Amino acid sequence: MVDFLVHRDGDHVGVAVRDIKKNEHVSGKTVDGQFSYELDAVQDIPLGHKIALRDIQKGEKIIEYGEIIGVATDNIAKGAHVHVHNIRSLRWG
Amino acid sequence: MKREILAYRRPDGSVGVRNYVLILPIDDISNAVAEAVEKVVNGTLAIPHPYGRLQFGKDLELFFKTLIGTGLNPNVAAVVVIGVEPKWTCKVAEEIAKSGKWVEAFWVEGFGQLRTIERAARTAVKFVEDATNLKRETVDLSELIVSLKCGESDTTSGLGANRVVGRFTERFLEMGGTVLFGETTELTGAEHILIQRIKSEQERQKFIRMFDEYQQLVKSQGVDLLGSQPTQGNIAGGLSTIEEKALGNLQKIGNAMVDGVLEPAERPPAKGLYFMNTSSAAAEAVTLFAAAGAAIHLFPTGQGNPIGNPIVPVIKITANPKTAQSMSEHIDVDVSDLLRLKISLDEATERLFSRVVETACGRFVKAEILNHREFVPTKLYPSA
Repeated sequence: MVDFLVHRDGDHVGVAVRDIKKNEHVSGKTVDGQFSYELDAVQDIPLGHKIALRDIQKGEKIIEYGEIIGVATDNIAKGAHVHVHNIRSLRWG
Repeated sequence: MKREILAYRRPDGSVGVRNYVLILPIDDISNAVAEAVEKVVNGTLAIPHPYGRLQFGKDLELFFKTLIGTGLNPNVAAVVVIGVEPKWTCKVAEEIAKSGKWVEAFWVEGFGQLRTIERAARTAVKFVEDATNLKRETVDLSELIVSLKCGESDTTSGLGANRVVGRFTERFLEMGGTVLFGETTELTGAEHILIQRIKSEQERQKFIRMFDEYQQLVKSQGVDLLGSQPTQGNIAGGLSTIEEKALGNLQKIGNAMVDGVLEPAERPPAKGLYFMNTSSAAAEAVTLFAAAGAAIHLFPTGQGNPIGNPIVPVIKITANPKTAQSMSEHIDVDVSDLLRLKISLDEATERLFSRVVETACGRFVKAEILNHREFVPTKLYPSA
């Protein structure tokens, strides 16, 4: 059983597949089951929300699906919640 | 995997999975007659809508194409066309009649509402008798046109339900099936991937033109779509940007290549996978796919969208375990096991395949059971 899934190895974020609580040690896999990851959640991550798989600097482009999904508007720590409060679109808004 | 279905073969060769006697109003002021006929004649279906007066140019063309295409849809056995005046009413009826389908036109001017209801109802009685006497026959599933559109998406869509639909699409195309997808603005951030998937340069250029036009339209309104894209439901479900939503959206076609690019409500010229220029609003898009001949629609959802269509069964698929529970009366295929890797993508796809076969053979989907009949013609600009 996994706690989060990752679209492609190398992505900066994973997606919680259950409600994750702060300080939980969680494990995840890529959707094809090929790669595994382990880290500590530093915030609550609700089901379906993204968790940072590594430290992300403010201004850095964030990768999911092996593609750019937006830019970090703040420094994001490994294990933190990644959402509209710290990422914005490069296309709209 | 079972490929044979029991379905209706129409006179023009198309294959349908439902057998409606449609009462089709040409304009808003004929809705009352259409709805009255539906009430007095069991087995008929009226599809009221708010348009059809003083439309002009491209908007009128698309409106006619939508009404005619809806009448031509293979899930429809016969059509009673009702308008306020004869010219437009007969134009729509004549186009539908070319397919060999039973169709008759009625108009209110010169008769009044009550006489029109009676005349139309008498024809509807005959159509219901004949339609209900039609037999389903054995045909290959690949003869159907299937359309795709997701809604109330969240990250479980891109991880689960859309990927299942993507694998289905790959398999169905291998079988020789036809698939339609669209949602022009909701490809923003993933359009570069789609462009590479379009087989011919000519069709690629067509897509780029449609995509750019939509982006210009958004810009011309002096707004960005932030606030409506992603939607509040999307954001609650964890989607942060339009790029992320678009990348999840595109999972619905798997790794398939695109054969062509269609205008709204345009019928696919051959078998294969086609992109159609549509709004990303669910009911509008499904209405356009139905007008292009889709017999079944696959609708992956994250947070749960109840949408249906009057003539096309809309199959709801979710990978969100919370939605599968809290919105169970809307969900046809629960693939939430995929999210925790309890089943494989192929196993989840097989669940969807069996449900598509069952639906094609007559099993009602939840949207049909719950009376969802959203018929929403796309309006391009204000009427004159």
